[in-house]
Amino acid sequence: MSLFHFKKGKDAKAVKEASLGVTRKYDLRPGKCYVVEEAPPSVSFDAFANLVSTSDGGGGAVGLAVTRQHPDLVRQKYGLERTPVYWLATRAGEGVISPTNLGILTQTLVKFIGENADGVILLDGLEYLVSNNDFGKVLKVIDQVHDHISQSGSRFILPVDPRAFEPRELALLERNMERISGATDEG
Amino acid sequence: MRILVVDDSEAFRRVMTELLLKAGYRDVKAAGGYEEALEAYKESHPEIVFVDMVLPGRSGVDLTREILSADPKAKIIAMSSIMNKSLIKESLEAGAKDFLLKPTNAIALSSILSTWSE
Repeated sequence: MSLFHFKKGKDAKAVKEASLGVTRKYDLRPGKCYVVEEAPPSVSFDAFANLVSTSDGGGGAVGLAVTRQHPDLVRQKYGLERTPVYWLATRAGEGVISPTNLGILTQTLVKFIGENADGVILLDGLEYLVSNNDFGKVLKVIDQVHDHISQSGSRFILPVDPRAFEPRELALLERNMERISGATDEG
Repeated sequence: MRILVVDDSEAFRRVMTELLLKAGYRDVKAAGGYEEALEAYKESHPEIVFVDMVLPGRSGVDLTREILSADPKAKIIAMSSIMNKSLIKESLEAGAKDFLLKPTNAIALSSILSTWSE
């Protein structure tokens, strides 16, 4: 089984969503990485969907999502018609990234940052990555993404379930990130 | 500021009301259906109305139109648990000012309220 299940020539291309004409609710600055302590990752997805579906002067951001949830469900709930949504899973198929292949994951994210001046990345499934890899290796991926994001006009959203990490691990994950606060109150 | 929350889910109404109270909005009313919402609107003339687009019986889009036909200055925020683009478009065309995805959170809610309370 291939570890990265994209058919040749079928690499998902990032395309802007049509603007919905609703307000931009999250002020996520270009070149910044944001951590959201929550489970399930509803604030993270809401912020991501809001950024790609709303115009802020120059139009909506181009998005890329990597998620543990099935892409069809994510697309339906968040109205994502053009945004690439990769599934973090061990199943074979198009648009699937294996949790054990951190190289392909990093390459996908870094490539997107390089190709999109005003992008937004959502990486949902950090706990799953850590359960399939050494924490230090996953941290290196996050650090690499951070370095690329901070030299770009893109943003990075990382939902984290704080129950799944030791305080030291959380501190290491969050040390270069800004926290989206107020995420615990849901209605 | 007077706020009305219209949603058929009692749990959502309760949590949304708690979020609004926590954010400092004291005058919050809630209605579970179309007719109850119309009555509550006529009684209190809220400045902002959060309307679930999927209500039992007549839709939230119909409710938006009916409130706006009686009071064109009403500020209605459409809500739904999925970002259905055609439903959002229909809601905005009916006169809703904005859209809020359910479940919501303090950040999205406070952004909506600060935008539309002016």
